[in-house]
Order: sequence, then C-alpha cells, then structure tokens
Amino acid sequence: MADVRISGLHKYYGAMHALKGIDLTIADGEFAVFVGPSGCGKSTLLRTIAGLEDVDAGEIAIGGGVVNDMRPRDRNIAMVFQNYALYPYLTVFENIAFGLRARKFADSEISKRVGDAASMLGITALLDRFPRQLSGGQRQRVAIGRAIVRQAQLFLFDEPLSNLDAKLRDEMRSEIKRLHKNIATTMIYVTHDQVEAMTLADRIVLLRDGRIEQQGSPLDLFERPATGFVAGFLGSPTINLIPAVMDVRGNSVAVRLTSGEMLELPADKVQSAAGSNGKKVILGIRPQHLTRAGRAALPKGQIRVKAVADLIQPTGTRTYVTSRIGDVAVTAELGAHDVHEQGATLDYAVDMNRCVLIDPQTDKVL
Amino acid sequence: MALPFSRLHDAMSTDTYGHRLSVFSDRNFKYLMVAPGILILLLVGIFPLIYSLVVSFQNITMTDVDTSFQGLLNYKQLFRDARLWQALGHTALITAIALPLELVLGFLLAQLFLERMPGRQIFVALLVLPTVLSPIVAGATWRLMFDVRFGPIGQIVSYFAGEPVTLLWTVNPSLVYPAIIICEVWQWTPFMFLLLLAALSNVDQSQLEAAELDGASYWRVLRQIIMPAIKPVVAIAVLIRGLDLFRIFDIIWALTEGGPGSMTETISLYTYVIGFTQFDTSYTAAVAFLVVALLSVIVTLVLRRMELVK
Repeated sequence: MADVRISGLHKYYGAMHALKGIDLTIADGEFAVFVGPSGCGKSTLLRTIAGLEDVDAGEIAIGGGVVNDMRPRDRNIAMVFQNYALYPYLTVFENIAFGLRARKFADSEISKRVGDAASMLGITALLDRFPRQLSGGQRQRVAIGRAIVRQAQLFLFDEPLSNLDAKLRDEMRSEIKRLHKNIATTMIYVTHDQVEAMTLADRIVLLRDGRIEQQGSPLDLFERPATGFVAGFLGSPTINLIPAVMDVRGNSVAVRLTSGEMLELPADKVQSAAGSNGKKVILGIRPQHLTRAGRAALPKGQIRVKAVADLIQPTGTRTYVTSRIGDVAVTAELGAHDVHEQGATLDYAVDMNRCVLIDPQTDKVL
Repeated sequence: MALPFSRLHDAMSTDTYGHRLSVFSDRNFKYLMVAPGILILLLVGIFPLIYSLVVSFQNITMTDVDTSFQGLLNYKQLFRDARLWQALGHTALITAIALPLELVLGFLLAQLFLERMPGRQIFVALLVLPTVLSPIVAGATWRLMFDVRFGPIGQIVSYFAGEPVTLLWTVNPSLVYPAIIICEVWQWTPFMFLLLLAALSNVDQSQLEAAELDGASYWRVLRQIIMPAIKPVVAIAVLIRGLDLFRIFDIIWALTEGGPGSMTETISLYTYVIGFTQFDTSYTAAVAFLVVALLSVIVTLVLRRMELVK
C-alpha cells in the first residue's frame, strides 16, 4: 500500500525529450491509468516509476520514500508486461513462485500463496504446465498471478491486454477491475485504448508529447475536457469537431457554421462573450449528443438541424449515422432503428448544453 | 517447379487415367530426379572414405606397395601402439582444458559487451581479429611472443619478477601445455564470444526486467532464464569447438611440433607423422578410421543429449 508522488520528472533518450516535467500524485489504493497516443511517454513514465529507466531530473517517491536511486527490486513493485514476460523454462507454478523463491520464502508459504493466487485467477489446473502450452488469456492470468503473490505495495500494468483478442480483452478488463477491488493496492495501468482507460480508472492521466495534458476522473475528462486533444482522444465514436465563428448579438450568443446555420448557445455555456464576436472557434459535439428530433418542441438548449444521412453503420445496440453539417462529416449515435435509409433527410436535435468550444489557436477549451 | 516436371511426367505416362509405366510412377519419379545429385555426392564424399577403409585392410608402406588383403592386421596394431593412445590422451587433455576456458571467457566477454557503450563496435571487431587469422599464423606469432631471446612475454615476466627469467615455453615440459592452451584460447575465445554475444542479445529483455522486479539474484537469473535461453547456441558452439580441438594441429605444429619428444603430440600430429614422415600408409588409414569412429560416437551421443536430432 503506497501513494506515488512524482515531481518535476524529466527523461531524455539522447536528444529526444521523452518526459517534459511530470508532476503527479496518485493516492494510496487508487487505480490510475496513463493513456495517450503512441510515443506520448506513458510507458516511459511507468518504467521510470518501476526503476527500469533512470530519470534525468525530478523525484519519484513511493509510500513517502524517494526511490530515485533505488534498484527496481528494492522498490517493492510488481509489474505485468505487455508480452507477459513469463519465464519460458519454468512451470506456471515456478513462474508465480519465482519472486517468492528469490526472496527466500519458506516452501510452505510459497505453496500457500501460489495456491491462493491460482484459485483466485482460476488457473489451478495449469500449475504444472509451461507457458508455451498456454493460451494468451491464460498467460495473462499467470502474469497477474506472479504479480499478486508478492503482495507488493504498487502494481504496474504495461498495456497488458493489447495482445489479446477483443472478447478476451473485455473479460480480462473486468477481472483486473475486480482484482483491484479485492486487493485494494495502488495500481498504475498504461494503455492507448481509451475504453480501457475510461472503464478501469479512478483517475485518468492523459499524456501528450511528454506532458500531462489533463488528469481527473474518467467522467470529468469526458465531460469537461480542458483541450480539444482531450475531447478528441476520449469517447467513441470520436467527438465531432465543426469549424464555426462566434456570433454575439446583445445577450444572445451563437456560433455560425460555415454552411450558414446558426446554433445558439445556452446562457450558462458562455460566461463572457464580450469581444468575441467574429472569433473563429471549433464546435465540439459528441455523437451521443446528436439525437433524432421528434415533432414536439425541443427542450431548452437543444437545436434542430436538418441533414442527410450519408453513411449508416449499425452496431446492433446503436447506429452511427454520418451526415454533413457545417461542411464537415458529423457522426451521430442514434438508436438502432432510428434510421434505415441512406440518403434520408433527418431532423437532428443538437444538445448545445453538452457542446464544447475550442480555440483553434491554443487548442484550449473556452 | 512442379509444372515442367509434371508435364514431362505426363508425356512419359501412357495415359492420364489408367496405368502408367511402372518406372516412372509418381512414387519413384522424384527419386529418379534427385539420383544424379546423390550419385555425385556419394562419389565425392564417400569414395575417399571407402578408399581409405580399403587401404586400412592392406599393408602399404613406403617400401612395400603390396595391396593384398591383410585382415585386421593394422587394427590389431592400434591396440599395441602406446604412442597412439598417448596422443589421444594429449588431445583429450587440451580439449578438456581449452574448451571450458574458451566458453567461460567468451561468456564473460559477451556479458561485458552486451551493454551499449561508446566504441563497442571497434572493440568487438578488434577482439574478433585472432579468429580471422590462420591457426598456423597464430601459432607462429605466439612462438615469437614466447621466444626466449626477444619474445615480449619473457621480458614482461622478467620485469615483474625484477630479475631476468628464462622461460622455455616451447621446450620446458611444464610450460609446453600452458603455451599451447594460451595460444589456442587466445585464438578461439572470440569465436565463443561472438556466438554467445548473439545468443545473449536475443534473451528477452522483459524477462530480465521481470526477474529484476521479482528481486532475483544474478545466479538465479543466469540459471533459470539466461542459461536455458542460450543453451542451444552454447551446445552448438561447444560441439564445433570440441571437434576443432580434437583435430588440433596447426598451433601445436608451429609452437612445439609435438615436442619435447612426443609430449604434445595430438592425434592429428601423430597421424601426420606416421603418414607423411614414416609413410606407413595403411596403418595411417587405420588410425584415421579410429578417429572417425571415435568422433562419430561422441558427436552422436552429444547430439542425442542435446536433443537436436529428433
């Protein structure tokens, strides 16, 4: 059990500046997810916490003690690797027991702990096998088993599900979440998959280009993104970004799309629109906030927009419909039976209460 | 590939659906096609072997070209030839000392050069240099190095001893073996080093990292992760070097010529001596066959042990 405090962390690979000043606190027992596109530094950050990479500046403290100069083995950390890193010449039992044997535990204690972990993960029948005889999901379980028997103070997961097929990935994701509930140890999880990040995390740390772009609870990041990048990274299908111009007339504030539509913004969405008339913005609307409008009057803040359904992608539960609004392709997530016919004209209800306005220059959300 | 053959085959068969000419049936046709190649291989590879086997049952010497069958005469002689068994003993001794030395030194060097460091490529290239030399040149070089009058080894030893020391490396019975082994190890450790460096760089890095996080000692990592991973390469390297060492000739020929007396005479040297200085041709063939038989048995046993032939 331990918290993790990172301050002013920098890491260079030769001339490449991989981590550019990371400040981060992860509370005891928290499930933190580092997420971001390839090359954003998320794996590097995880590896510096593990001690597998040296840091060039800054400080890492685990459970209150600075660990910068501590070897990985002395940090009391367990890690699950992307390729599982099972020891191929040892049985499953010996793989799980490896860390305990290395730390000179008694044989009776080892068999007890390995047995407990195996039954918790449902791999008791596999203990005598070798890693090459296991399927991907089973290897994953063994790797997790190897991590939990140590009862380390901190768990690190480096993209543990990326080598599994989709169905198994969903299954293991739930198991990892359940595992965290059961053992309540601080966990840090690296992924590039925003669904994993959203579903697993207590706190998402979204990295971009060696810096923390935004951190917070999943819903916080989803609903109140600080930048266009965050808005675009989280959510599936991705948020629609429509170029627009601010149109301020007295008390009414609207955005004008390039195709001429005026979308009025709810009052609480704009604190101060003074001087922003004519300013270029990007209107961000999630596909979930475009619904099919009925005949009745729309609730406050929703605006009716007509558009033609260009592309229809049913998923079973929901149907993704792409139309042209404001001269860009906009995806709406509608009900499964809302639209059948390509080329049909639809009445969308655009929920302006949930939209975000992004400054195209700074990428900041206004 | 299959097309021209099958067309030819079709042309040879009497009809497509019924019976075909038995010689060119599907089953035999492929053997027919590889037969010429096999024949040439047999002629080139097996003929000399069979020829020397035949010679070993005759009694050809420099003065006697009698080619009549002499039965096991030469083979009986093998068991009475003390110098032969001594030569085999010398060979075994050199192999038993040099092989583990080369393996261990090669492994340590490979470990050292596994990490990225400035100038790594140049150092590796320099280290590999001895292996590029012809063994006879290596032997001659070390003969100069060991030379009593102007060899640097004697001078260095004298410097550290503080007084002139005369070490007769190629003559003194207690120094000839160390001299041979130094030269041999100097030349062939880089070979082990290269193979082991390649094998070690292929060990899965994340397994080593996982072991580090698990808190495993170096010995545990070596025993349970590194050794099993590089075992196939080590086995091949040991086999290749073992066979080479068993046939060692050039280095010893350059350094001691098997002397003093026949003290450093290995089986290859002995075969050469009886064959080309005593011209005991048939007996030499018998000795050569003994070596072939011995090596075949050893290689078969080792390969089976290594589970490479399954």
